[in-house]
Amino acid sequence: MTVTVERSARAAGKGAAVRPPRRPRDSYALFLLPGALAFLAVIVLPFVMNTYVSFTDWQGVGSPEWSGLANYRELMDDSEFWASFRHSLSMVVAMAAIPTALGLVLAAALFDYVGKHFGSRTAAVLRACFYLPQVLPIAVAGIVWSWILAPDNGSLNALLKAIGLGSWQQDWLGDPDLALYSVMGVMVWVQLGFPLVVFMAGLQRVDPQLYEAAELDGAGWWRRFWHITLPQIRPEIYVVLTWCSIAALKVFGAVYVLTKGGPGGATDVPSYFSFTTFFEKTQVGYGAAISTVLTVVILALSLIGLRLQERTDS
Amino acid sequence: MLTARRRVVAAAVILTGSLLVTSCGDSDSGSSDGKTLRLWHYEGPSSAMGIAWKEAIKEFEATHPGVKVEFEEKSFDQIQKTAPMVLNSSDAPDLMEYNKGNATAGLLSKQGLLTDLTEEATKRGWDKKLSPSVRTTSLYDTNGVMGSGKWYGVPNYAEYTLVYYNKDLFKKYGIAEPKTLDELTAAMDTFVENKVTPLANGGAAYPAQQYLYQLALSKADRSWVDAYQLYKGKTDFHDAAWTYGAQTFTDWVKKGYFSKSSSGQNEEAAGVSFTSGKAPILFSGSWWYGRFKTDNKFDWGTFRWPDSKLTLGSGGNLWVVPKGSKNKDLAYDFIDITMSKKIQNLLGNSGGVPVAADASAITDPQSKTLIDDFNTLSRNDGLAFYPDWPVPGFYDVLVSGTQKLITGSEKPDGYLSDLQEAYDKGAPKQ
Repeated sequence: MTVTVERSARAAGKGAAVRPPRRPRDSYALFLLPGALAFLAVIVLPFVMNTYVSFTDWQGVGSPEWSGLANYRELMDDSEFWASFRHSLSMVVAMAAIPTALGLVLAAALFDYVGKHFGSRTAAVLRACFYLPQVLPIAVAGIVWSWILAPDNGSLNALLKAIGLGSWQQDWLGDPDLALYSVMGVMVWVQLGFPLVVFMAGLQRVDPQLYEAAELDGAGWWRRFWHITLPQIRPEIYVVLTWCSIAALKVFGAVYVLTKGGPGGATDVPSYFSFTTFFEKTQVGYGAAISTVLTVVILALSLIGLRLQERTDS
Repeated sequence: MLTARRRVVAAAVILTGSLLVTSCGDSDSGSSDGKTLRLWHYEGPSSAMGIAWKEAIKEFEATHPGVKVEFEEKSFDQIQKTAPMVLNSSDAPDLMEYNKGNATAGLLSKQGLLTDLTEEATKRGWDKKLSPSVRTTSLYDTNGVMGSGKWYGVPNYAEYTLVYYNKDLFKKYGIAEPKTLDELTAAMDTFVENKVTPLANGGAAYPAQQYLYQLALSKADRSWVDAYQLYKGKTDFHDAAWTYGAQTFTDWVKKGYFSKSSSGQNEEAAGVSFTSGKAPILFSGSWWYGRFKTDNKFDWGTFRWPDSKLTLGSGGNLWVVPKGSKNKDLAYDFIDITMSKKIQNLLGNSGGVPVAADASAITDPQSKTLIDDFNTLSRNDGLAFYPDWPVPGFYDVLVSGTQKLITGSEKPDGYLSDLQEAYDKGAPKQ
């Protein structure tokens, strides 16, 4: 393309010196255009429309009636909405905090111990095993887990019974005191592979001499982990935490497949709450208000995450 | 003249624009040439309705030479979630199956998205073929409330709830078929004594709320139903009927008639616990009938809920003609065929409940019982619709509340107050 432009410039009798050569960034901008337009059509435009709908009273058909801030006022007093947000925080623990912490320890163990003692192939196989749930569609994983956690014929209860722990059997997804923890457990399993892979990639760029020097100085595995591994892969930790927190706030599929927000709303999350308000109750304006609030929260969180990342990079 | 760079930019914009436009979908929105009937429904191919409608398509094409039926099988969820948007677009089919009730067909009729079928219903005699209680869901007033006004849909099958019971298990424990509620509770006590949970149940879906509504119905009358479903009067959830329903349901949980773990189970789990021979009794809809005929490996039977004039049920889902239908006359002809004796008899013999069948043409004895029971109910004005109908989103409120009753995290009084609050918020103001 640059060649064509130069050729046409020469043909017009203008030397290249007449016009300063364009910076490469200008020609790259052109490649961004399709993506930018698609982003506009698929993300920005629907978001603007959704925000508009959130200020109306609308059942999804006919004309929306402007209702100003009524939906947002109702949202502030809606105990179900706040409960769903509290459950979201539990999801952040299950999908961001726990997998990040566990992923760090596992990545360090696989990289520093398994890789050294059992060979890098073994570490790679184990890493792939941990990552497998990330590849499975959540609907498939959810249905399999609902079989495992079923109260009467579920494999978990059957296993407990088989090993003589029959009294520990529970209605994992049907007991309101347990259901959220069960869903959290499933989400830890789903999410763990992602931080693990990112951290193992991050560990590749840590200078091995640091570990060797520390080892010569008599530092044990735990001290090496604490004083070398953690500070060295801090950027990856921020990326993973931000990414996973956003995924946790958006979680929908698992709740839809496992519990449909039940029992008695015990596992309801904002995205599912918005979905049922939208489609089941046909309160489209109110559902849109929930989505808008959720989007704003996620955007804010993303910006904080990016800022933290920039700070560590600099 | 465009410079080379501008040409490239223009080409990129045009290419991207056209990609975006095509990605938004460009489906054939049908034609009004009278040669195609675009039909959507969501009945499984092996269900009674699926079998009957397949035959109706054949019949239609035979009686309309040169006309092709373009059938698209949809899922219940697909139509439930997207119907308003589809009907608002030029992609609407000529004829489609849609859910009955105020929150669904009523809402669409109110918004002017459905064709008024009053004239056709009179002209073609559909109004004569449907009994008053089946007809209720066909008529909607200007506020989208069922029961009066214009015809916006035609149901051509019906559904109601009944007690399915495992005769082999009843025999095993020496229990006769219950004729009264006392006999039914005595039977359940016997099962509990023998460590068998008598009632198949699903708290995470419709079965649990239907048990509770049936208990309330056994203490109610038509005016109570009209107040609750058609807003013809005030609904008080703390009245005798609702209180009895919620309290008895809670007592039955305590007595072990329902398993505690049923709170997280869906309707499928409830059905499976009956077909697998685990639970001896399931109270649910006639829509299970065909499946039980093939799946049950034991002797089974049905009876109506004892000591109750009313039970859950209504005309089935509706044929509706979208406002944007381009071949309305073909759509009316197709509805007419589904109402014919031939198709209705086939529906009845396939395990469905027809609304205009020839009683003598139903040859299967079990189907005969099913249809006779329905006809008795229909004649006695005993169909009380479904508990989640009056208010959009009430289904979720009932699921959530009934789950709490099963798990013991809510008392009947609190449960009924929750229902009252959601109902008052969603029902049209009196």
